[in-house]
Amino acid sequence: MEELRPEFDQRGVQVVTISTDRPEEIRREREGHGLQARMLSDRDLAVTDAFGLRNQGFHSAPPGDGTEALPVPTSLLIDREGKVLWMDQSENYQRRSGPEVVLAALREHLRPR
Amino acid sequence: MSSMPEGRTARDGSKKVGTILGLLAFVIAAVTIALWIRQINQVDIPENRTLFVCFFLLAVALGIGAFVFGTRWFGGVPAVIAIFIGSFLPFTIAISRQEVAANPIRVGDSIPSFTAVDDQGKRFDSDSLYGTPVLIKFFRAHW
Repeated sequence: MEELRPEFDQRGVQVVTISTDRPEEIRREREGHGLQARMLSDRDLAVTDAFGLRNQGFHSAPPGDGTEALPVPTSLLIDREGKVLWMDQSENYQRRSGPEVVLAALREHLRPR
Repeated sequence: MSSMPEGRTARDGSKKVGTILGLLAFVIAAVTIALWIRQINQVDIPENRTLFVCFFLLAVALGIGAFVFGTRWFGGVPAVIAIFIGSFLPFTIAISRQEVAANPIRVGDSIPSFTAVDDQGKRFDSDSLYGTPVLIKFFRAHW
């Protein structure tokens, strides 16, 4: 996803990631990938539920992790006023929005300044 | 004149069938899982999972068939492996299917206000997002 950094910067896009990982676990991810983004920890799924994205599927959460469920992996492109321009959801946890999908959405919905 | 008791010939014949079924079960399970893994490594979950599930269940059926007919060990061991692989994969495929909550956010909606803690332990407020476009990614978690 970091390969899209120039495209994000041209459009002034902020990137925010949300997962149920603990802050320490997310820090390790960041150190591994060098991601420039606000990476949020949503242990109690408050943010996930605010977006209505709690996964209702069977065995949603890993056992012993301390979380009760997980979000459905979703990417959202939001405009300057906070409106959702585009959404992508994998119907399977093994598939995620690839960079090319996000790039296409950026080009379609946001003009570079 | 010596002759083999009929029962024994029938059992041997049956065991031949059973052994073949066991080996066949294993081959089908092995090939199917190899193809499945290859697709996953290309980060390309096949749309038509049903076909894969059918082949896995076929492997299970043949594996069970091997024991119904009776099999030698070199048909039995592959049959057990085939039954294991063939049952396990459809199970994981089934639980990986996802459904969303009753009222998910949709294109055109305004995002809700929210606060959270970031990986540095700093508080985050969604008000800070107003005025710029944002890409929000919900991840499933590190594992």
